[in-house]
Amino acid sequence: MNLPAAIYAIRWLIRDTFRQSLATGIFWIMLSVTVLCVLLCLSVSVTGPAALHDKMEPTGFVARPPRAPHESDEAYQKRLADLEREAARSGTELAGGEMTLAFGLFHTPIGRDAADAVHFLELLLAGGVADAAGVLLALVWTAGFLPGFLDPNAASVLLAKPIPRWSLLFGKYLGVLVFVAFQSVLFVGGTWTALGLRTGIWDSAYLLAIPLLLVHFGIFFSMSTFLATCSRSVVTCILGSFLFWFLCWGMNYGRHVVVAAESLRESAAGLRGAVEVGYWVLPKPGDMSMLLFDALKAHDSFGIAPEFKQVQLMGAFNPELSLLTSVLFAVVLLGLSAWQFVTTDY
Amino acid sequence: MSDYAVQFENVVKDYPTDILGRKKLRAVNGVNLNIEPGQVFGLIGPNRAGKTTLVKILLSLCRATQGTTRRLGRPVSERRTLARVGYMHENQAFPRYLTAAALLEYYGALTLLPEPEVRRRAPQLLERVGLADRSREPIARFSKGMVQRLGLAQALLNEPELLVLDEPAEGLDLLGRKLLREVIADQRRGGRTVLLVSHVLEEVAQLCDRLGVIAGGRLVFVGPTADLLVDSKTGQGRSLETALEGLYQKNVS
Repeated sequence: MNLPAAIYAIRWLIRDTFRQSLATGIFWIMLSVTVLCVLLCLSVSVTGPAALHDKMEPTGFVARPPRAPHESDEAYQKRLADLEREAARSGTELAGGEMTLAFGLFHTPIGRDAADAVHFLELLLAGGVADAAGVLLALVWTAGFLPGFLDPNAASVLLAKPIPRWSLLFGKYLGVLVFVAFQSVLFVGGTWTALGLRTGIWDSAYLLAIPLLLVHFGIFFSMSTFLATCSRSVVTCILGSFLFWFLCWGMNYGRHVVVAAESLRESAAGLRGAVEVGYWVLPKPGDMSMLLFDALKAHDSFGIAPEFKQVQLMGAFNPELSLLTSVLFAVVLLGLSAWQFVTTDY
Repeated sequence: MSDYAVQFENVVKDYPTDILGRKKLRAVNGVNLNIEPGQVFGLIGPNRAGKTTLVKILLSLCRATQGTTRRLGRPVSERRTLARVGYMHENQAFPRYLTAAALLEYYGALTLLPEPEVRRRAPQLLERVGLADRSREPIARFSKGMVQRLGLAQALLNEPELLVLDEPAEGLDLLGRKLLREVIADQRRGGRTVLLVSHVLEEVAQLCDRLGVIAGGRLVFVGPTADLLVDSKTGQGRSLETALEGLYQKNVS
């Protein structure tokens, strides 16, 4: 089969995946989450930002605290005055801004300036909603796509078509990836635009979340693909992908603990060796989250696990190699899935 | 290169019956069969005789354990010959979210037919199988018979040189069966080959030029249908049912 024919067939498989997502409602579920988040961003308003003294300096401000319950006005004003004096003494100032959410329903004082407040929101959306919950939910929602496609009664006629079996599987995998990419672009692009329109702050680094989230999803969807070719069971795909994600997280975190802890590093060479092998062979979701946080410059707003920070300081964290080996694992797993699919009797 | 549309040479297929694959079930046992181009060939046999397994080997859905199989003169490993084959499956489960028209476009694309060709042929075929007025409805709303008609339309989409019909009458009503007979007659007139797998004896006897009877994985009879209707010992006529009963009992036991 020539390349244009393969591209033509794969194009149709991608199109079919979109139709499947529409018919099963997954398209609309994911779109609803995006719409809710975009609406949340459109409801954001930031007022009275305090200017930063130094853009590189992370804590050059004192946040204005909210009034405590049952605190009298007099006591609150006194507390603010004390804080202002304290801020002036240390060469900073009291941040007096406020961020409102849900069109003024919720108020929260902002720690620094408007850009920082928007950045914080973007981190919550990219790191919390999309990276952690989003990737796992996307794995659940798309887990049924391949088993249904590979069911013998559904696949028999497709497999009697001239296109190679591997390209059927690859086309479907790619279809799911394109679908998730489409939803990621809508989510990240939509929230970025909404926040930009409301606050005038356009932080383009936030858009880096799109490729990083897609790579993260693609790596773990390769496990779902492998399980689908072996079992053709939706439940196995969901449970297997979840367990695998947690196993990889554990291995990733465990390796950094072993490397960071001096006592473990020196006393258990065997353990260190085993953990290193596991770490380099398996995908590294923790490292991918770290990459996302680095790309979004999240360290000013969120602390990272001390073990992760320690391996970074020790130079034992190689982001490029970590990402490359994770992707390599997915490629090998997809190769195994293709081999399994090609050699299966229908 | 062989001149046959379908050729099985000493084909054997074993299925593993345990996880380790140590125990095996022989589904097809040394089948030799040639089907000439332009012929309507019927393959019949009792349940679990190996009919569907032979079809699957022919269509590269599964691999023979032993032997050689050729499709349109080429080894079955050459998938490109599948572009000249149409296949109708007995329990077809099409994606329920597609409409009949969308399904033909999708399956046409996977048969590597040019898009304009599919757009031209799809409405004609839907008209032919009596689904033109339902072409924009999701398959989820179709009855079993309608799905079978759609299956027939997709099998004819590439104007196949070899049409493989596995229990095609399953779920079809009277008109559907008539349509099926017309399609087979058209294929014959066009000099195209048809392999019909069925357990509906009258249908096979009426439509096929030659017949293959498979029992216990072995091909126990190959020849013109008329040969089976005459008792070779007595020279007297007999029904197809009686002839097959004798063949099945002799070979399965």
